[in-house]
Amino acid sequence: MHSKTLFKQDFLKKWVLGLQYYGCSTKEMSISERTKAIKLSSDVAMASCRDGKTCWSRAVITDASKQGENKSLVRKILGNEYEKLTKYSIRSLVCNKRVRSKKILRKSRKSRPLVVLASTVIAKRMVNKRTRMLKDLVPGGDSIDDSFLLEETLDYILSLKAQVDVMRRFVSASESLICK
Amino acid sequence: MEMLYSGGNCLDMTVLERQRAQMKLQPQQQQQLSYFNDSHLNFNGFNGGLVNGDSIIRELAFRSMSIDPALENGLSELGCYPIPRTGFVSNDSGGEGTINVAVEETKMMSANGTGRESFKKRKADKAQTPKVVETESVNVKKIKVDAEEVESKVTNKNSNSRETSGETSNDNSKVSEVQKPDYIHVRARRGQATDSHSLAERVRREKISERMKYLQDLVPGCDKIIGKAGMLDEIINYVQSLQRQVEFLSMKLAAVNPRLDINMDSFLTKEMVSACTDNSSALGLVSEMPNSAYFNQVQQLVSCYPEMALGRTTASSPMSIPEVFMGSSCFSQTQPASSWETDLQNLYNVDLHQGRPGSFSSLLFPGANNLKMEM
Repeated sequence: MHSKTLFKQDFLKKWVLGLQYYGCSTKEMSISERTKAIKLSSDVAMASCRDGKTCWSRAVITDASKQGENKSLVRKILGNEYEKLTKYSIRSLVCNKRVRSKKILRKSRKSRPLVVLASTVIAKRMVNKRTRMLKDLVPGGDSIDDSFLLEETLDYILSLKAQVDVMRRFVSASESLICK
Repeated sequence: MEMLYSGGNCLDMTVLERQRAQMKLQPQQQQQLSYFNDSHLNFNGFNGGLVNGDSIIRELAFRSMSIDPALENGLSELGCYPIPRTGFVSNDSGGEGTINVAVEETKMMSANGTGRESFKKRKADKAQTPKVVETESVNVKKIKVDAEEVESKVTNKNSNSRETSGETSNDNSKVSEVQKPDYIHVRARRGQATDSHSLAERVRREKISERMKYLQDLVPGCDKIIGKAGMLDEIINYVQSLQRQVEFLSMKLAAVNPRLDINMDSFLTKEMVSACTDNSSALGLVSEMPNSAYFNQVQQLVSCYPEMALGRTTASSPMSIPEVFMGSSCFSQTQPASSWETDLQNLYNVDLHQGRPGSFSSLLFPGANNLKMEM
């Protein structure tokens, strides 16, 4: 409970930093641009709250910093942790390579003729399919092991919950401000 | 450790048996090796082994009895085993001090067999009775699988023990101690693969199911679903909905904010001119970076003022109030990242607390007065 509120505070602080960055830039933005900016800044802020402890946060940060224009935003939100967190991308690349070889193995196994489509096989396929879907959903999920994926998903869901909570409050706050 | 015992009830037979055989070695020597000549004699040999501290074998014999009708003769003998067991414990401990775990509690257990001995050493903190039950169940399962096989193995081992009879009791105990570390790594049940890959795979699967349990608690509506696929479905849906929510909220914010911009802009441009003149440090900084300062103020206003109002209006949910106040306090206390920010906050806070309608703040924030009134 306590850590949750701490996380939310941290997230809010960093998010506001990110929003300030967009406030600084004087150029006009359309609604879609603003939407993207707000989403990106909130995502990066959330990821940076995890201090690079999880794969998904690292993936979010590296994805965001890949695009040149967002680099400065990421730098602003992360502050002096920027160097530390972007370093992790190298490690995740190594992860990727390892998995690639695994995939090849799996494929070669599949080439064997399937004997009978037992119910267990079907269940396994269903689970595999869904695991793949989940891997697509969780940022950085395609480079991690199944058991680790669930751990990441746990963490990601918790963070998303906090993010949604803070954002909802933010929205209703700004709405009520306008009404006044 | 828990996993070891609960997950892999049955330890690797071969290791156990090896140890057992080594332990038996001396007692059997003492008891005359001729026992092992035929199957019935085998039982006698078991008795001897038991007397010297091998209850596993006793159980083994017991099992084999139930499975193997040929061994029925031994049943009557088996019935009276419990009594000799205890007495023999003392013998064992007295004869071979090294074998005993040195802990008083474990002495009893050690009498039951070498495998148990090692178990006890590892989990001496646990209650004795559960241990016994566990180990016994292990033995039972093993024996169920192949009682006859075990029997033959036992005889084999006895012969082995004869070969190595030259060893002293100390040596034997040392050997068993050396083997213990191996024990910890072995988790395979009887009939399961024991190579490192399948062991790792088993550990991985256990991990996954554990995580699944946590996720079940976390994702609403997931606790009623049985099966991994269904749960994964639910998790995927939940994650997707959360992500969509974030998107929606950011869109909402984007839609809401521009109007704010326009309103505040007009205030700001008017304000800047007059504010720079009367307020010293904070406003000077503000004028340096009008946009960011303005944005910051907007954010603060947005976050502090309406959230308090929110706390009142949305008091229906018990969580909202404390968290809202936490949120606002984080702004006033922990946020200061740069000097102008703190200055602004000070300004804002002063206004808030003293109720002094400063020209700057009152002009800049039309909501500030409302805030004061609300507070």
